[in-house]
Amino acid sequence: MIFHKAKGIQIEGKKELCKRHPLADYLNPDSVYIPLVHRNLKLEPQVKVGDLVKIGQVIAQFKTYASFITHASISGEVKSIKKVWHSTGKMVDAIEIENDHKNTLDESIKERKNVNELTREELIDIMRDAGITGMGGAGFPSYIKYQTKENIDTVIINAVECEPYLTCDYQFIIKFPEKLLKGATYMMRAAGADEVVVAYKVYNTKIEEELNKLTEKYPHVKLSPVKDIYPAGWEKYIVEQVTGKTYTSLPAEIGVIVNNSATAIVYADAVEKNIPLISRPISITGEGINDPKTFFAPLGTKVSELIEQCGGYVEGLDPMKANYIAGGPMTGRAIFIDDLVMDDTLGAVIVKPFITWEYPECLGCGRCADVCPVYLTPTEIKKAYERKDVKLLDYLDTKKCMQCGLCSYVCPSHVEITDSVSKGIDLLRKGAK
Amino acid sequence: MARFAGGKAPFLRISDQKGKNTNTIMRDFLIALLPVVLFSWYKNGIQVFLDGNINFFEMLYPLFLIIMGGFLSVVMEGIFFYVTDKKNNNLKSISHKLTTSYAVIPGIILALLLPIYTPIWVLMVATFIATIIGKMLFGGFGHNIFNPALLGYVIVGFTLSGFITDAGGVFNGSEVLIDSYASATPLGIFAQFSNTGEAFSFATLVEPYGNLWNFFIGTIPGGLGETSALAILIGGIWLVARKIIKWYTPVIYIGTVFILSWIIGINVGESGIWFPTYSILTGGVMFAAVFMITEPVTTPTNPLGKVVFALFLGTLTVLFRFVGNLPEGVATSLILMNIFAIPIDTYSGIIRTRGFKKPGLSFASVLFVIFIIIVAYTIIASVNMYTAFLPIINIWQVI
Repeated sequence: MIFHKAKGIQIEGKKELCKRHPLADYLNPDSVYIPLVHRNLKLEPQVKVGDLVKIGQVIAQFKTYASFITHASISGEVKSIKKVWHSTGKMVDAIEIENDHKNTLDESIKERKNVNELTREELIDIMRDAGITGMGGAGFPSYIKYQTKENIDTVIINAVECEPYLTCDYQFIIKFPEKLLKGATYMMRAAGADEVVVAYKVYNTKIEEELNKLTEKYPHVKLSPVKDIYPAGWEKYIVEQVTGKTYTSLPAEIGVIVNNSATAIVYADAVEKNIPLISRPISITGEGINDPKTFFAPLGTKVSELIEQCGGYVEGLDPMKANYIAGGPMTGRAIFIDDLVMDDTLGAVIVKPFITWEYPECLGCGRCADVCPVYLTPTEIKKAYERKDVKLLDYLDTKKCMQCGLCSYVCPSHVEITDSVSKGIDLLRKGAK
Repeated sequence: MARFAGGKAPFLRISDQKGKNTNTIMRDFLIALLPVVLFSWYKNGIQVFLDGNINFFEMLYPLFLIIMGGFLSVVMEGIFFYVTDKKNNNLKSISHKLTTSYAVIPGIILALLLPIYTPIWVLMVATFIATIIGKMLFGGFGHNIFNPALLGYVIVGFTLSGFITDAGGVFNGSEVLIDSYASATPLGIFAQFSNTGEAFSFATLVEPYGNLWNFFIGTIPGGLGETSALAILIGGIWLVARKIIKWYTPVIYIGTVFILSWIIGINVGESGIWFPTYSILTGGVMFAAVFMITEPVTTPTNPLGKVVFALFLGTLTVLFRFVGNLPEGVATSLILMNIFAIPIDTYSGIIRTRGFKKPGLSFASVLFVIFIIIVAYTIIASVNMYTAFLPIINIWQVI
């Protein structure tokens, strides 16, 4: 289309905050809280209060039209089922497990011998039983992607991590480069594809170095650096950069599956040792944290414990003048109480003081429209939403929005325009029903 | 456990950084107006003073008028805030509101549009119309439909122009002594020709004022700020360099006026390139192109809308100027297009996302058909009013 040039903008990364320390292990918290919620789905608990659980034991699942399984991330006794703060900004039920510090493994966790003879179906079953979900933030059960009937020829591993502050994927890859390539290879086999492309940001030369050492062993893996812009980690952008093709709803349409790099690393463990998704990397960062670090911690760990490991908040931090953000700073969610529990989609917790000033009105400069990666006109959507004009919202293609937050980011008048657009999407969904 | 503040994603904002918010945009607009202000002071004050036609205090008058425009507009908005909000009518809260209302800019632009010898009371009326009626009644900054300065200028031009002419009008102290400057601005002379139906030529339109270079530099009679294309271009380049305005909006507008004027010139037997050049250098086309049609509040927001807006506006300017009987085609067409900025914004927003598929196609074709009709009418009607209506009359006779 005319003047369709906008393809993201460069945002100050601030990733060096969290790169000072290597990935730190925090594997033995005193207790964990496994949320009984996943992507608005309520999970059925499979254990009772007082039960003794082992690492990797199934403790909750959801089985109707999709299957999703949660495992115990530490061994110990189930203490209670109580409400905790979840990264969706709500209080949800969670299973509290007290750690017995014995680290007993479930019987199912053992070396798999016939790794190279596994069929496609078996690999997908492993993915489902290990409860592997998209660890980039969406939390979509990965196996559903692989059950596609389309002919897949490329698997893209998304190691771009375009959001500022976040370094969990980067440090996870630096620590386990071989596991990444192994997991990617299994994913390729699970998809029936013949090529794996690892996409990373062009300035992350360390990822390139680490992976280049191994590419002789994995000749089917290709490296593909992408530009340092936001939102370069967006699925459509990566697919377009790597294959040159575009799609409308799912990348499988053009024979591509995109997975997060952390998912690939976890999947390597799942295939070889049958370890389910029980721990993930998480960045504790931001200007409000004394000594930002990235941890590798079991799911259900309290974030406040991790923040203590980082030396707590900086001195003189006024909580009412700071945001406690679950997720990246562009798409994350502000949490009111710092009593958050880690789950499989939470890649970072950012504590960041903010400033307020006299916000003027929207002046209609059109920067939001210039910068929109899907060529929407956010100001018009905002007006249509304020008039509750569902038809116009539909005409303006509001549901195309993927809430990258760039329109609010560039707004010189500090208008909450991303919020208006997402409310517009809600209204459109309600109106359509 | 601590309780943290809420907020909405994204938590990073460019506007929180220093020098990247709306205040900066407005400051840059003011800086862009500086060359225009300085040139108009030079032309109407310093140069005339050096010629020995006015005294020292009269030399300061153009500057005084421009500053007065900005000052009056701020004062009027302050009074408006004082009167309408009884609860917070202390000085502190009013000055807070004024900092995010940016009243200075319409005031200064208004003063730049008016002729040099505008009586101060006329300026007061104009600023009242501009800031109170044109801006505050619509809901303040960001909600106005009309460009406030332009509304004040147009209404004063329609109603009080006699008082301005009596007080001295457009001619400064030196220009009033030159005999060849008949009794009007360059476009005024053109209007006389088109009223009587006589043929015009380079000798009658341009030569009384020297040559086209004088038009570019701006040493011709006219409103305070609108004469100098050079000073306006400097301001425009600053605005484009600071990424406040898009370069293509002024270029498309000027280009449309240029091409249509050329076609009209050929139609009436003046095929020289001087005629379209003369057309874009007079009557505030340049000033409007840089400072008015790029004004963010009253023009479309998205890039496609800006293009459509500039195309329509250029056509309407030519239509009003050469076919209709309004020498100041720019101001009237811009006021008209300010209203249509709202549907154009919506339409172009739809076309931008949907492309030429359904429903984008229908909106695109509506805009396209209207545009073609206006352009065709402008070109046909420029030859003769009667011939433009001839086909319509014929159809009527057939029926």
